[in-house]
Amino acid sequence: MSGGIPPAGPVIEATALSFRYPGAGSDTLRDVDVRIERGDFVAVVGGNGSGKTTLCKTFNGLVPHYWSGEFAGEVRVGGVDTWESSVAELSSVVGYVYQDFQNQLVRPTVRDEVAFGPVNFGLADHAERTAEALRMVGIEHLADRFVWQLSGGQAHLVALASVLALRPEVVVVDEPVAELDPAAAVEIYERLTDLNRDHGITVVTIEHHAEFVARYARSVLLMSDGAPVWHLPTAQALGRAGELARHGIPAPQVVDGLRRIGVTGVPLSVADAATLVRADQDGGVVRRAAPRADVPDDPAREPDRRAVAVAREVGHGFRDVGGGLRPVIDDLSVTLREGDRVALVGGNGAGKTTLMRLLAGIHVPRVGTVELDGVDTRTQRAGRLSERAAYLAQQPERMFLKASVREDVALFPAGRHVPDVDALVDRILDRVRLTEHADRDGRTLSGGQQRRATLAIGLAMRPALLLLDEPTASLDVSSRDDVIAMLADLAEDIACTVVATHDMHLVAEWATRVLVLDGGRVVADTTPRVLFAEPDVLAPAHLVPPQITQLGLELGLDPLPLTVEEFAAHYAPAPLGALT
Amino acid sequence: MSLRTQHDVLSVEWIKLELIRTAYSTRGGLFAAMDPRAVIGWYLLMAVAPWLTHNLTTLAALFVLGAVAVALARVGPLVLGLFVIGLGFELIYLALAATLFGGDLTTVVALLEVTAKLGVLSLASLAAFVSLDPEKLSDALLALRFPPAVAFAVSYGYRMMPILVEEFATVVEGYRLRQAPPAGRGLLGWRALVHWVLITIRAFYPIFLNTAKSVRTTVEALEARGFTFATIDPRGRAIRIGSLRFGPRDAAVLAVTALAVACCYLVGATWPVYRG
Repeated sequence: MSGGIPPAGPVIEATALSFRYPGAGSDTLRDVDVRIERGDFVAVVGGNGSGKTTLCKTFNGLVPHYWSGEFAGEVRVGGVDTWESSVAELSSVVGYVYQDFQNQLVRPTVRDEVAFGPVNFGLADHAERTAEALRMVGIEHLADRFVWQLSGGQAHLVALASVLALRPEVVVVDEPVAELDPAAAVEIYERLTDLNRDHGITVVTIEHHAEFVARYARSVLLMSDGAPVWHLPTAQALGRAGELARHGIPAPQVVDGLRRIGVTGVPLSVADAATLVRADQDGGVVRRAAPRADVPDDPAREPDRRAVAVAREVGHGFRDVGGGLRPVIDDLSVTLREGDRVALVGGNGAGKTTLMRLLAGIHVPRVGTVELDGVDTRTQRAGRLSERAAYLAQQPERMFLKASVREDVALFPAGRHVPDVDALVDRILDRVRLTEHADRDGRTLSGGQQRRATLAIGLAMRPALLLLDEPTASLDVSSRDDVIAMLADLAEDIACTVVATHDMHLVAEWATRVLVLDGGRVVADTTPRVLFAEPDVLAPAHLVPPQITQLGLELGLDPLPLTVEEFAAHYAPAPLGALT
Repeated sequence: MSLRTQHDVLSVEWIKLELIRTAYSTRGGLFAAMDPRAVIGWYLLMAVAPWLTHNLTTLAALFVLGAVAVALARVGPLVLGLFVIGLGFELIYLALAATLFGGDLTTVVALLEVTAKLGVLSLASLAAFVSLDPEKLSDALLALRFPPAVAFAVSYGYRMMPILVEEFATVVEGYRLRQAPPAGRGLLGWRALVHWVLITIRAFYPIFLNTAKSVRTTVEALEARGFTFATIDPRGRAIRIGSLRFGPRDAAVLAVTALAVACCYLVGATWPVYRG
């Protein structure tokens, strides 16, 4: 089957659909009319609370059969009215993969998990369906693994396979990028593209990231305040960059960059963008600016600054289920100095988290030494070392121990009898803009607020070394920019900040030093600008530079742009009339 | 103060790995390869046997039989350690209780009989449940006409176990790092002990809330994948239990065990010892 013209008729059709959750004060969906054609690849976009997830839950009947609120209008899926049908029946037409897909896995092994649906429905060909679904997403080799042994990306593929085993016509995937690292997210999207192209499965994804929308979706459905604003082919949709930005979906960097320098057209990829820029350069529409001397260069790195943390020939590892020792960090030496903004990058399992926990003194190394502020971590308890280094876990909920954000922030300084704890806590809460939410339980906050709350917990510990594990993971773009701005602001309080991340925007915009880890060793210790120009280091560590940097590489710009502003500075201001 | 080192045993991580090894019978062993219904049958045989006699010789022989079964099932150190500690405390308690309440050796012996019976039961439980991974146990329960919800709860409970242990470890670590440690250890470390007990109790609040939040997705996903449907429609059950095979090996193990139990009774009848 080719991806050309889809067979006739919409696979999903909602007419005058409204829905209100039981007990809610207003409608979550209001008067929605949506048609999704068979074989389409739809990205549903929109701000938080725009009703994206609720809309998608009407497709498989969870609304109104599981969430029995006030339901009006009609949803037809594969020609069947969902009101007349049931969740069980609809699950053979629509498969749903959740944002927190880990909780969707209910069986111990991968094969059992995938077979769960077909076996429950008593399908005689359950074994073939299981094998087929495993093959379709390319995870046959994982069939006998336990689900808790899987990486995030693998677990997501298992969740996908488990809904595919029911041979649905439509697959809904809720924010795959949120919980996965970029390489895994790309993998998921590639698989979804295969399913869409080779098996004719209609794919609906909920997505915040315009880059993924541009690269994979065929059409874009913009939701706002419980109703669709429009549903357009992707190129047309991305052309409305301003409107998307207003709904919390900033344009992809290449779209933004080209607009800044006055190149017309909506590039869907870096290659597209390069072609457009070259054409306009040849046509004289844009021209390169004269080489500038004032391009911000990376700060000089004098070696005599105070060392905040020193690791010497450190080796570490953990026991696995079989009892063997799995090495994680291998003969690693590094010195972190005052004023460093360190980004720790590398694929999953490269040892980023372990290294941070060793630096924070939570673990002590099996081999070698770690010195924190001049103190060997072996000589003090973790509870004492936390006065020098604070480690913020990847999942913010794991840092919430108390019933309110205020109590959580105060826990550390109050226990250490810091004078005037209340004033300190107030000041910190104000700084992360959480004063008005201070008395709420951290778990009830939004993703961005949760991150800021954990940052407040870290700041209240007043450490010399602050270590953050994936602080921008699962955040939408504006919350992410918020967190990056706050990190940039920390220099006055924190001597040295280390961030383990997959987010290359964060690396490009914030870091002054990048440590690339691979197989438990530091394979590169450099600046972001130098790193992004070295494909030999990037590829094995599964690193992909930000789009605008890729475009700079493609066009041979020097110095390499790390932000859209730096990119625009390479071009002379657009002559009047070039902007349309 | 002594230097810190990485602990490989008796750490939370170790407990997690041990639980996983125990639950999923990764150590193998005689019973792991058997039909789960046969294992349950074997367990019932061993569990009932000690309650039909007051003969201490028979009980001792059954205890030895139980110990052999535990060895054959390759029970791990954590569970076995807990068993030994439990039995040890039980004996100390018996001795103390007997002395305090004015009893003498005969009282201890009287109570010893019950302890021995419970000991045989525990050994059999260890051997059987270490050998049954949750899937097998759940399938066997289905085959024995338990309600599907019970069978599922067994396997889902095991699925949640590593998650809960991990959640617990994280929360305790959070407290360890952020809660001020006690000023000193106190006499016999009582301050440290109180500190840890308090942390353990306080850990439950965040664990419950975090878990409750994630269960919502689980319940929706179960619904969408026919879990409720399977409780009404019998075909799913037929497929699940269709893979169970009662083979010659199962029959042999059951026969040998029955014979061994009979031997225990024979030994008891030959050299009987009764209390007081």
